[in-house]
Amino acid sequence: MSHFSPTAAVSYFFNYFLMKGVLVTIGLTVAAVVGGLILGMGIALLRMSSNPVLAGAARFYIWFFRGTPLLIQLVVIYSGLPQLGIKFSVITCALVGLILNEAAYLAEIVRSGFMAVSVGQREAAWALSLSPWVTFRRVTLPQAFRLMIPPLGNSINSLLKATSLASVISVEELMRRSDMLMQEHFQILEVYAAATAYYLILTSVWDAVQRRLEKHFGRSSAAKTRRVAASPPVAQASVEARA
Amino acid sequence: MSERSMARAEGATVQPQLREVPAVRMEAVYKHYGDFTALNEVDLKVAKGEKIVVCGPSGSGKSTLIRCINHIEKHDEGLIYVNGTELDRQRKNIDTVRRDTGMVFQSFNLFPHMTVLENCILAPMTVNGMSEAEAKDLAMHFLTKVRIPDQAEKFPGQLSGGQQQRVAIARALCMRPKIMLFDEPTSALDPEMVKEVLETMKKLAEEGMTMLCVTHEMGFAREVADRIVFMNEGRVVEQAAPEEFFENPKSERARAFLDQIIH
Ligand SMILES: Nc1ncnc2c1ncn2[C@@H]1O[C@H](COP(=O)(O)OP(=O)(O)OP(=O)(O)O)[C@@H](O)[C@H]1O
Ligand SMILES: [Mg+2]
Repeated sequence: MSHFSPTAAVSYFFNYFLMKGVLVTIGLTVAAVVGGLILGMGIALLRMSSNPVLAGAARFYIWFFRGTPLLIQLVVIYSGLPQLGIKFSVITCALVGLILNEAAYLAEIVRSGFMAVSVGQREAAWALSLSPWVTFRRVTLPQAFRLMIPPLGNSINSLLKATSLASVISVEELMRRSDMLMQEHFQILEVYAAATAYYLILTSVWDAVQRRLEKHFGRSSAAKTRRVAASPPVAQASVEARA
Repeated sequence: MSERSMARAEGATVQPQLREVPAVRMEAVYKHYGDFTALNEVDLKVAKGEKIVVCGPSGSGKSTLIRCINHIEKHDEGLIYVNGTELDRQRKNIDTVRRDTGMVFQSFNLFPHMTVLENCILAPMTVNGMSEAEAKDLAMHFLTKVRIPDQAEKFPGQLSGGQQQRVAIARALCMRPKIMLFDEPTSALDPEMVKEVLETMKKLAEEGMTMLCVTHEMGFAREVADRIVFMNEGRVVEQAAPEEFFENPKSERARAFLDQIIH
């Protein structure tokens, strides 16, 4: 039976049951990004701290969660932890897993963003007697954030797709609901065509948002970055020329 | 007033006045980086209104010296007083000292995501609690002084190096510092822009600002400095009025350095 029914695919696309799955996918993604960013910033701060124990703990966390599959993490939280008497609802399990995992990636992104802001910026802030909070909020954070947008965007794109793994622990998001429809009607290609279309729409919308963000935050700084990057060699050259 | 202007008129030969608290006093200051001694028993006294040029070969500790004065670098041993406030690691004292000093860096270090005006008003507003209107007036006053009021709405990346450095000077002046520290302010500039920055610094000197400048601009040193401080291997090797230093350097090391610089 070689047959693909476009009308069936379209009807799955507008299937209310599947649409609710899309909303769950979006919800999981948003919650994991927000939770992951908050936790990730905390971990990044620990990772950058001068206390070797704290920095080591953060490093371990990142190593662990980036070094193991999200699928195992989800399954362990969902089926493994109850063995120890720790039990969450399905959706909580998915959120905990996604947030813990995403935080590890975002921590590295946040950290590298801050590391890329030159020490000269902080020194200028000190010399002006800016408070640590103002230095962070007005000087380092905006510059770090601009550098974080591209990798952050990629990470969120991956996360959007990674939420499909939550289907394995029976969260009824887009993937799971596609499976359910498929098992009911056996129109494999038609159902997954609809699901694929949704994932493509979601990632494309996010791409557009990301481009807008990049444009907005890159606005004032593009020219400057080039100039600053160019100035140290110039400095060296003129000092050498003089010596 | 007359006392001060006389002191300036007589120039470098005037001894720092003993009854006045010196702008900077360093006593037996050491700074180590691991095994390396970047500052080695440095003693230095700078009177109010005095203009000091610090020079010496690369790696001799010039930057470390002036960066210790506003505690961007922390000295390991010895005493540093700035306008009578001891830099003893108490937060309150460090803040006082940083408020009394302005610093200009080789690489400008303007905040690239803010306009020139925003760069200038950030500290006055958040540190001194000025209103935005007051801070803008103040900023425009100093931007006019460094002769770039028309660039106020631009971003640093849209300015030439010389203009950026003048903004950096204006930004520092907006905090009304009593002492200005310059670390090779013209070394990152194309030759044609060096002059405009040095002119700005000269004007500041004429107004009586206490200045410590690390620079290789010997013309500037001759013209503006009350005293040259020559450093080598973390030590202050020689201190003298410019005429004396350039005509008749005492140490072998200073002679070699001057030969190299003048060719
Ligand atoms: N953060 C640091 N860690 C280790 N060594 C350092 C550090 N900062 C400076 N040094 C060393 O201390 C010495 C003095 O440095 P400093 O920057 O004060 O020299 P300088 O006289 O300003 O030289 P230049 O003319 O090249 O700017 C140098 O040998 C430098 O390598
Ligand atoms: Mg230096």
